[in-house]
Amino acid sequence: MALKYRALILGILFLLVAQAPAEPKMMRPMETLQGPIDQIIAILNDPSYKGAEKRSLQREKIWAIARPVFNFDEISRRAVGNTWSDFTMDEKTRFTAVFSQFLGSTYIDKLQGEFNSEQIDFDKELVKGSKALVRTRLRRKNLEIPIDYRMHQVDGDWKIYDILVENGVSLVKNYRVQFTSILKGGTPAQLIDRLEKKLDGQNTPASKPK
Amino acid sequence: MKNSSFLWLLAVAVVLGTFSGCAGQSKQAAQDPSPSPALQSNATANEAETTDSLSAEEEALFEDDTNTWDTEESQEIALVSDPIEPFNRTMFYLNDKLYTWVLRPVSLGYRKVTPETVRVGISNFFTNLTTPIRFTNCLLQGKGRAATAEISKFIFNSTFGVLGFGDLFEDYPEMNPDREDLGQTLGSYGIGDGFYIVWPLLGASTLRDSFGLAGDTFLNPITYVDSTEAGLAARGVNTVNMLTFRIEDIDAAKKAAFDPYEANRNFYIQSRRSKINK
Repeated sequence: MALKYRALILGILFLLVAQAPAEPKMMRPMETLQGPIDQIIAILNDPSYKGAEKRSLQREKIWAIARPVFNFDEISRRAVGNTWSDFTMDEKTRFTAVFSQFLGSTYIDKLQGEFNSEQIDFDKELVKGSKALVRTRLRRKNLEIPIDYRMHQVDGDWKIYDILVENGVSLVKNYRVQFTSILKGGTPAQLIDRLEKKLDGQNTPASKPK
Repeated sequence: MKNSSFLWLLAVAVVLGTFSGCAGQSKQAAQDPSPSPALQSNATANEAETTDSLSAEEEALFEDDTNTWDTEESQEIALVSDPIEPFNRTMFYLNDKLYTWVLRPVSLGYRKVTPETVRVGISNFFTNLTTPIRFTNCLLQGKGRAATAEISKFIFNSTFGVLGFGDLFEDYPEMNPDREDLGQTLGSYGIGDGFYIVWPLLGASTLRDSFGLAGDTFLNPITYVDSTEAGLAARGVNTVNMLTFRIEDIDAAKKAAFDPYEANRNFYIQSRRSKINK
């Protein structure tokens, strides 16, 4: 009897101990960014990815890490602006898919092209309700580029919905100006078309060995 | 006459800088051990703070732009008026060709034969040389700390940094304030953009910033170089040298844009606004 009782207590204790680390821990906005960024830097510095034929593999690895940190639905909605409601459900999905791919391809390409011991300083994390701003600086030999990440909480996770470079130049806003001007003279379908063409054009030369 | 007025200004600058305690501050900065540079991201997470009181600048960065486009239709497209757009587009096109066909290849070639240390030194030299512009505009905007930092840097880098080729303060953020110019000063006085202008060679600007640029020319020592050729050569070297650090950025920006003209105009205006608000 006493033995059974002890076993039960041990069992409960064991369950408690085993479960404690598994409990969902709220990640802070900066932590949410730091992990993936460190992983990406490690992949960029990894000598086993040297060589043109490993490039696309490296790109996929980076994309797999970066993608979940961004809220591409929100980025797309904001990049289109007030004409977003003119998009059909299907157009919204297609636009989001191609635009996120375009952003990924453009910026990962740049990272792959010239990442040479750049240093990222995480300076500050500002939180206000469900929104946050993570302030970082990209440091090169002769240059310092402030990069601020606008993040918000989606189901408890912090996600990026805009990036500010050079102290306040919003990338989403910059795209909105361009998309609005394209949408003035065209339909959402034409905009998506144009995005797809540009994405294709980007992928072709990049996949060719230089 | 021109030269003597410049010297006089420098003398005033030096005196002002000394009085506002530049010597003390830079000593402090020099003693403060800088964090050792790491290749990995610098996780200074101890500074991570949940701040209730944001600085005005941070407040502005936090400010979401959702409201602008949700309520006011097409308001923000007109971030800046562009009445001479056809002219601007032509200039933009020509500048782009000049960049693609001349400046970019020249910069790439020059980069190949010039070690990075040398290029960083040249860039430091020109940055140091144009201190009068930044210092004066710090003063005009009442930014005492930034002015102090500028002038202290100028004194130490011109001497111990060997004519400014070395930058003794690159690892001290507090000694590297935002770079002020007359366009920003005028903007901080409440003068609006006027309208957008793309100048041949000089690139994106506005009416206000063009006046600023013209005014700043008087504070630029290169303006007082006796021979025109030498002055132009100096500007050329500076431009090409600066470009060597940014070619990839420019290429990426061009690739990332759908309408490069619109993208560039918007980038310029957004960046100027945020600089003026600081």
